Amino acid sequence: MKPLLISLLFFWINVSFAQISDFNHIDFKKADSIALSYPNEGLINLPELSLKLTSHLNTDVERFRAIYRWVCANIKNDYSLYLKNKYKRERFKDDSIKFKNWNTDFRKKLFNKLLRKKQTICTGYAYLIKVLAEFSDLKCEVVQGYDRVSTTDTENLTLPNHSWNAVKLNEKWYLCDPTWASGIPHPETNRFTFNYNDGFFLANPKLFAINHFPIEAKWWLLKGDIPTFEEFLNAPVIYGNAYRKLELHVAPKQMHKNIKVSEKVIFKYQLKEPLDKSKIRFVIDSGSNQRKVKPTSIRFKENLLNIEQQFDTSGFYDLHFYIDNDLISTYTVEVNN
Amino acid sequence: MKVHVFTQKQSFKVLGFIGFLIMALLAFNPAYGQSEVTTTETASGERTVKGVISDEKGPLKDVNIIQKGTRNGTVTNEKGEFTFPVKLNTGDILLITYLGYETQRVKIEDDTTFIDIVLTDDLIEIIGTLDTGKPYKSKRKN
Repeated sequence: MKPLLISLLFFWINVSFAQISDFNHIDFKKADSIALSYPNEGLINLPELSLKLTSHLNTDVERFRAIYRWVCANIKNDYSLYLKNKYKRERFKDDSIKFKNWNTDFRKKLFNKLLRKKQTICTGYAYLIKVLAEFSDLKCEVVQGYDRVSTTDTENLTLPNHSWNAVKLNEKWYLCDPTWASGIPHPETNRFTFNYNDGFFLANPKLFAINHFPIEAKWWLLKGDIPTFEEFLNAPVIYGNAYRKLELHVAPKQMHKNIKVSEKVIFKYQLKEPLDKSKIRFVIDSGSNQRKVKPTSIRFKENLLNIEQQFDTSGFYDLHFYIDNDLISTYTVEVNN
Repeated sequence: MKVHVFTQKQSFKVLGFIGFLIMALLAFNPAYGQSEVTTTETASGERTVKGVISDEKGPLKDVNIIQKGTRNGTVTNEKGEFTFPVKLNTGDILLITYLGYETQRVKIEDDTTFIDIVLTDDLIEIIGTLDTGKPYKSKRKN
């Protein structure tokens, strides 16, 4: 009986803080190739679609992967639907009846558009993944909450604005964000472009917490302290590329920093892969001009990257951190004499 | 012939193990959160099942109906009607699914030939943000 008790105990202790590295031994090639081999499937027969995607895979994580990858490769983000919903929700936010009516009406429109055109916004992605997962006996939930992106107006962020998923695999819960993983709108035309970002699949909950604030606290999946809403709003802006390149964003915890001339700001990141110093740069925007700079100092301790940046002239700066040509994060720095 | 006689202690162990197995089976029995609906019309043995599917506003087109555990299935027409393409037996289960509505499980009873189902919305608040990936820009007074 003893070994059983010990393994049960281990099982309970080991239930939190789960991420993709738990599945390093699994190659997702097979799941991905199955997902990508059904580009023309509709959404009428959901049980059959789910089984097509999962029935030839042996583990729950691969089965979930195939569903997630299929949704990310086949469902388009609908920019006009997003704008319309945002506008109406803000307009009706103080009128509970109109707000509720709008939501009911919009829900029908949204599911209809998803069904007929395979276009949607966040909740549609997360909902479809949950439904497909359930038809393959996988436990998956839609998580509702707030997100923070580069264009979020943090002073007026009062209504929940984002949905993502939590999935239970081998008795542990994991997080993923199918909407942001699927692609981004073209910078000029705003037309949605598929560009799969694998960093949002079973992401590190600590990195996820920088720009995802769940309404229900159980979905942080964090071991230690959970951020307050204020801390969340004041956190640095991180971009999709951060999920590709970073394991963790360690410091600074806040987006804004006040310093004196010739003082330094310190940045710390845990990288996913080792990196060459020459790939790292800042772009500093003073409002009137932008310049690329090599950081004042760059140090590595295995995959921990430590950067210092000194400011020699007073002013208010937007500081953009790049690896290769990918924008990772943005900070603001006010430098005074 | 050798007969194995359980001691009292062994019997408890065996019973305990059986109890554990039952608990484990219960724990892993997947629950769907779907309601089962049965209907009343007379029939027996293998039979053709027809029906109509609607929501609170009226008939629904393209509702998917499959026999659980098979690929037998059909969809509803513009009037929300369907005729299931294979004959069904008592005990078969139909899964009725439509995106945005709660899935219904219908068990075919001895007397089922016609089913009339009203689907209910899956109540979820629709929200979304687009991550444009555009660089952040501070609002400046000047």
